[in-house]
Amino acid sequence: MMTIVQRRRRIVAGVLAALCAHAASAGMVTVDVTTPSGAPARDTVVVFDPLDAAPPPSHDAAIIDQVSKRFVPRVSVVRTGTSIIFPNSDRIRHQVYSFSPAKTFTLKLYAGSPNTPVIFDHPGLVVLGCNIHDNMVAYVGVVDSPYYAKTTDAGTASLNLPAGRYRLRTWNPNALAAVPSQEIAVQAASLTVPVKIDVSSAPTAVGWPE
Amino acid sequence: MTLRTRIAVTFSLLLAAVLAAALGAVSATNRGNAEREVQRQLDVGVSVFQRLLESNRRQLTQAAQAVASDYGFREAVATRDTDTLVSVLQNSGERIGAALVVLTSLNGDVIAASGLHVKAGTPFPVSSAQRSSLAGDGATSLMVDNGRIYQLVTVPVRSPLPVAWIAMAFELDQKAAHELADITGLAVTLAVNSDGRWTNVVTTLPAGATSQTDVVTRRIEMSKWGNSQAAAILSRSLADARAPFERLTKVLFLIAAISLVASAVAAFWLARNITRPLHDLTKAVDQMRSGTYDVALSVQRSDELGVLAEGLHLMQTAVQSRDQSIRRLAYEDTLTGLMNRTAFGAALSEALAVADAGPVAVAVINLDRFRRINEHLGYSVGDAVLTKMAARLAAVPSVHSAVARLAADQFAAFTRLKDAANLQSWGTSLVMALAEPVFVEAQPIDITATLGLALAAGGSASTDELMRCADLALEHARREKRALAVYEEAFKPAARDQLSLLGELRRAVEHDELRLFFQPKIELKTGRITGAEVLLRWQHPTRGLLSPVDFIPFAEQTGFIRRMTRWTLDHAIAQGAVWQRAGKPVGLAVNISADDIGDERFDTRVASMLTRHQMPPALLTLELTESGFIEDPTRALRMLDALAALGVSLSIDDFGTGYSSLSHLARMPVHEVKIDRSFVQGLESDPETEPVVRSAIDMGHGLGLKVVAEGIETEAAAARLRSFGCDIAQGYLYAKPMPLAAFEAWLEGKERVPVIAMPVDFKIEDLTDSVSLAIY
Ligand SMILES: [Cu+2]
Repeated sequence: MMTIVQRRRRIVAGVLAALCAHAASAGMVTVDVTTPSGAPARDTVVVFDPLDAAPPPSHDAAIIDQVSKRFVPRVSVVRTGTSIIFPNSDRIRHQVYSFSPAKTFTLKLYAGSPNTPVIFDHPGLVVLGCNIHDNMVAYVGVVDSPYYAKTTDAGTASLNLPAGRYRLRTWNPNALAAVPSQEIAVQAASLTVPVKIDVSSAPTAVGWPE
Repeated sequence: MTLRTRIAVTFSLLLAAVLAAALGAVSATNRGNAEREVQRQLDVGVSVFQRLLESNRRQLTQAAQAVASDYGFREAVATRDTDTLVSVLQNSGERIGAALVVLTSLNGDVIAASGLHVKAGTPFPVSSAQRSSLAGDGATSLMVDNGRIYQLVTVPVRSPLPVAWIAMAFELDQKAAHELADITGLAVTLAVNSDGRWTNVVTTLPAGATSQTDVVTRRIEMSKWGNSQAAAILSRSLADARAPFERLTKVLFLIAAISLVASAVAAFWLARNITRPLHDLTKAVDQMRSGTYDVALSVQRSDELGVLAEGLHLMQTAVQSRDQSIRRLAYEDTLTGLMNRTAFGAALSEALAVADAGPVAVAVINLDRFRRINEHLGYSVGDAVLTKMAARLAAVPSVHSAVARLAADQFAAFTRLKDAANLQSWGTSLVMALAEPVFVEAQPIDITATLGLALAAGGSASTDELMRCADLALEHARREKRALAVYEEAFKPAARDQLSLLGELRRAVEHDELRLFFQPKIELKTGRITGAEVLLRWQHPTRGLLSPVDFIPFAEQTGFIRRMTRWTLDHAIAQGAVWQRAGKPVGLAVNISADDIGDERFDTRVASMLTRHQMPPALLTLELTESGFIEDPTRALRMLDALAALGVSLSIDDFGTGYSSLSHLARMPVHEVKIDRSFVQGLESDPETEPVVRSAIDMGHGLGLKVVAEGIETEAAAARLRSFGCDIAQGYLYAKPMPLAAFEAWLEGKERVPVIAMPVDFKIEDLTDSVSLAIY
């Protein structure tokens, strides 16, 4: 947990970094997400959509494992077109499904690794569940931008972004409401963007910014 | 209150108190128990009711969850496939018998519904608070719809996060209420309040029973549903709850009543068992008190009362025998077995009470000289003699007679005579019976008896009077030395005279009405005057000069004689001392009585008088009759010894008439004997007297005593006595007893009288008092 003094110092440092990187092609952007009470909001998805140039399509691959009746990781961000493999590390079977409009699918009850990966070909939020275990929930944010991150336990996420303008989207599975997107101009200097997000103790899966 | 009642009542009261306390305790406990029991039942009822709801909830929840977790259903929900959803809801609702199955959005808007009148698109009235509380795994609440109560469960539909709610409602109907009532034993009422008015939806109370007052209720307020409110009311009738306890109390009361009655009867019986023998014993004791000893103490028991009865019986026997022995002691002479004086008196008065049955004769019998038998032969012989005499008297055949022993040697008998003329012969038969010698230890004992007889001719005579008459007759017989005497009126002393006589005698001593007379004593051989006998006369103020015979026996009877002897001695010694001092000593002889000998201080009195008047003891001679030491010879002898030791001479008066024997005389410190005047006077008329007188004189001399003869009136008698060797003479021949002045005149210038004396008389004028001389 960061004190106010620390954060202020960090902000000062970010401004200094942004000023110093002015001449360079890229700048370090740190997003500091906190709840209204000042607590860091970890596992917050941070996406920088470049406004100056369209990002290239992606054919990345990702893995969401199932360990101890949990999806690991719980929150994932992938580029549109990424195929995700759902191995099962548990000795019990799971039946992974999604009723989310961005990707609706179901993997029949299985153990071990399924044969086919699932391709997430539409941007949006996909909420994964297990038909057997109601408590197993995973969130996959499908985005076009290659610039995205997840806040750490400290509630921060740092990215090296080429200079330019970006739309900053933030989302947390427990958010009570959507966080408005904001435009960020990235220069050579480091920049810290504070974001406030109101979360509940239980997941809500609302307010995914499109 | 009798002992019996007291025991019975005490027992019964005690038991009643115990029972009342026990019943009270039981009753109070029961009452409390009943109320506690009802409260406990209600607590249980509430708990059961809640468990029932919980149990329902679980069932409903499971059913709802089964629907909610169905993949196809989730898919239908996710895709908002409303028709499919309704069919699924309808299907699952029918399957588990739910009254309503509703699918709502997370906001509570109805997506699809089956049952009741819930329409899609309308909000389902579960408040958000309720919803959030329901967010767990199927919370329950009560729903009110159209006046009915439903139990509602709500479960989320996840895909995988909650996207919708499934709510299922089951009616809490009569069946459920009865089920609850059956389990809890309580009356169950479900009530709904809509529009501010409570209405019973279901109740297990019988119709009309709702107005019962004695009912304890417990109200369970259930959740609100919109404007409506539901409540479950559990109730229990206190009366019902108490009924078994009251039955128990009634039984206890019955038992108490029965045992009270039984114990009262038992206590009464027990008490009666105790008190009846007590009553019997009391009655027996009462009769014993009144002197009846033959009452049967018939308590045949082995317990304490039996012991008491036995003790009383022993006491009865003991008292009876003691009573008899006391009676014997009181009415019987222990030695002879004859009646005693008391019994004799009683028997006699009984006999006297019977009028015109013939005269009653009484005899008082005295054994002569019985004392001497005791003295010489011992008391055991005396007792034997008495016993034999008693037996003889008792054996005398008489008509209706009784024999008693009155005193040591005195008996009495009475009988009823046919005729007064038979009195003498009855008396004689008694004398005859006693006359024969008694043999004790083969030794003959000669004993005679003297009888006094008296006759009660009419019914007028009293016992005492009759006995006294017999006594007087006895006295007379003894005086007359006869074997028996019959009472005559003449024996009776003039009682009044005697009484006044005593007073007069007293006065005589105090007022010096007594006079000393002197009669000279003359030595027969020489005519020498050896002295004088002092004689007493009473110068009575009205009756003139009285001779001793008129008052001496009376004085002896009354004991006044001691006083008179003292007076006489004092005056005689005083006179003797006067003469002694005048150089003309005269030996003086003074008569003393048996009473004086019995006076323990007599010798010291004499000694002190001699000392006081300073007269030599040798001049004093005391004359006493044999009767003076017959009463108690040992004591008399001791007194005589004491008197002799003073230097006083002693003379035995009336020698020859009494019982004196040689052995007696030999032991006594006597200096002279005096031959009785009857012998001396007999010398003239009765030739048979002479040898008696002669032997008496010889006997006196044989014992070394002087012999005095008195009553000499003639020279012939004096000559005869002189020839017999009699030492001293006294009599009219020489001089009559003279008052002091006459005696002094007579004595004047005289040392002797002529041996052949002529009777000398003094003139009546010589007496200072006018007296008539009487012969002593
Ligand atoms: Cu699973």
